[in-house]
Amino acid sequence: MGQIFQERLPGPRIYCCSNCQAHAADYDEVVSKAFQGRYGRAYLFNKVVNVRLGPKEDRQLITGLHTVNDIYCSCCQQVLGWRYEKAYEEKEKYKEGKYIIEKNKMTKQNFLK
Amino acid sequence: MGGDTANGAPPPKRMKLHMPSIEEAFPHPMDGVAVPAVTIDALGSKGQIKKIEFTRIITQALYSLGYNKSASLLETESGIPLHSAIISQFRMEILQGLWDESLKTLHNLSHLDPETLKSAAFLILQQKFLEQLHRGETDMALKTLRSQLSKLKIRMQRLHELASCIICPTREDILAKVEWRGGGAEANMSLLLHLQSLLPPDIMIPEKRLEGLIEQALSVQRKACMFHNSLDQALTLYTDHCCGRDQIPTQTIQVLDAHEDEVWFLQFSHNGKHLASASKDCTAIIWNVGNDDFVMLKHTLTGHQKPVAFVAWSPDDIMLLTCGTEEVVRLWNAESGDCLRTYTKPTSGFTSCAWFPDGRKFVTGGGDRCIDMWDLNGNELDSWKGVRMPRITDVAITSDGVNMVSLAGNKDIRIHNLKEKSEHVIEEEGSITSLSFSNDSKHLLVNLSSQEIHLWDITANEKLPYKFKGHRQGRYVIRSCFGGSDHAFIVSGSEDSQVYIWHRGNGELLEVLPGHAGTVNCVSWNPTNPHMFASASDDSTIRIWGLSTKAPRVRATGTSNGIHPLINGVTR
Repeated sequence: MGQIFQERLPGPRIYCCSNCQAHAADYDEVVSKAFQGRYGRAYLFNKVVNVRLGPKEDRQLITGLHTVNDIYCSCCQQVLGWRYEKAYEEKEKYKEGKYIIEKNKMTKQNFLK
Repeated sequence: MGGDTANGAPPPKRMKLHMPSIEEAFPHPMDGVAVPAVTIDALGSKGQIKKIEFTRIITQALYSLGYNKSASLLETESGIPLHSAIISQFRMEILQGLWDESLKTLHNLSHLDPETLKSAAFLILQQKFLEQLHRGETDMALKTLRSQLSKLKIRMQRLHELASCIICPTREDILAKVEWRGGGAEANMSLLLHLQSLLPPDIMIPEKRLEGLIEQALSVQRKACMFHNSLDQALTLYTDHCCGRDQIPTQTIQVLDAHEDEVWFLQFSHNGKHLASASKDCTAIIWNVGNDDFVMLKHTLTGHQKPVAFVAWSPDDIMLLTCGTEEVVRLWNAESGDCLRTYTKPTSGFTSCAWFPDGRKFVTGGGDRCIDMWDLNGNELDSWKGVRMPRITDVAITSDGVNMVSLAGNKDIRIHNLKEKSEHVIEEEGSITSLSFSNDSKHLLVNLSSQEIHLWDITANEKLPYKFKGHRQGRYVIRSCFGGSDHAFIVSGSEDSQVYIWHRGNGELLEVLPGHAGTVNCVSWNPTNPHMFASASDDSTIRIWGLSTKAPRVRATGTSNGIHPLINGVTR
């Protein structure tokens, strides 16, 4: 569908889509590494690029009821995680507007060992 | 009108009884000229045109048209002479080459500041000196130089040049050395013109003033005409110029169907005779544009393994470069359709390329963050790289070869000045998807993913670009370009399958043209035909657009695009 426009992230350490290597998020945007996704460990990010949002749905997660949108990689349509649209408990409000990407859907690029 | 105007202030009592109108006689600038019973001094609907100036300009125009009798009749009838007596004398003396007399007259002219006086005197004396030299009267020339020219004490450099002429062996040397155009009536006329530019304009009106004023008005009308799009300058003086909507191509006159998958890029050749298109089906196609604007397939260029994202015509249109997405660059002969060479780089692929104006070198930008310069034999000549240089998505070179522009990262437009080896960066607010240049090498068009198109002037150091909005752009690379005669329009594709046309001067959206069945990725306007442009779309077709007054095509010659579904644009 047309040449898909890929955003590129500048900062040296970047997380990419495991399927197509499109840039997804910057290391500096990590908020927390202690999340659990559907398939294992997941990170919470402030900002991601090259993703499309799916429809809103209410889901019961470990921490309670939330309204979330699934996020898909714009280039290969792989489901990467989700975005918190709304949290119903006060303690969880800080997550609103932030993104979860599952650890096994990401590959690291330019990370120094 | 009994007001006493001797000291310029009519008694206040009287004034209140009169309506303040333009009939108040105010002092005339030309003293000693008998003005017959004319009390109205200003003309025009706003009273901005002074009658005296108007009459003088008309008289001058009549003279320059050769209607001497009418002109002198006008002078006597209106009582407003074109030039005062002194000036007429001055002009006559200059035209006849009577230098000393003209100098005396010059000094008699009142209200001239000394600088102007000196410059004018210098010019006259220079002509006198050179004429004398030319005639071989060397001692007379020397005397002029010593007694008259050097007394003025200005333009010493020029004085020395003239002095060195004396020792010139032949006349040709003199002519060449000081750029002297010889003596005679013609030279005297040009001297007069030169002097005119020095003297204040109300003494001697600049030549062809009326024509100049009218041309200014015409160009203002032309600029204000939003749909103006013709090659010929058929502007008439009788009415204000205004083109109709039908000067812009708004109707699909042909649909080209040869690609099998989405068409991502297309571009007309510089001479407007060919069109190259690049597609996701890994081929590029060269089309022929016939004399009646009918487009036929010429060559299909296969060989890329990945979708072709970019094509670039060489400045002489003999060769074509095609660029695969993150892949190799191939050089083709546009006439024969053969691949001449393939340029690769082991580390990564290229994203775009641009020719130098001499047609022998080109630059490529790639994912490995450097810009390389190549020649036609496959050698890498140069490269720009740096640790801080991010990935290049688009490169372009201006048609004068001075500037090279690259889209670095997502938001920066880097302009490298190739002559001065300097660089400056324009930072955009959002992510840029594509880049396009204008023919005059000064303006740059970028499409942003925030659904705006920005027009930058790279020579002026402006902080704010012109913005064009209205189209839809979100996920894909959409390209836009300049179009129309003098590039008065901006055209862009859009994700809602329509083509958008804006007026470049005031940003107004002129046309929205439906017709395609998928995102319009790229548009290209024919550089030699302001009434034709082409658009490439995800529905794997290319549409050629022309004026709505043209009859649609019904040709069925044997080409791969024999189908002409004419879903015409209905303009809003």
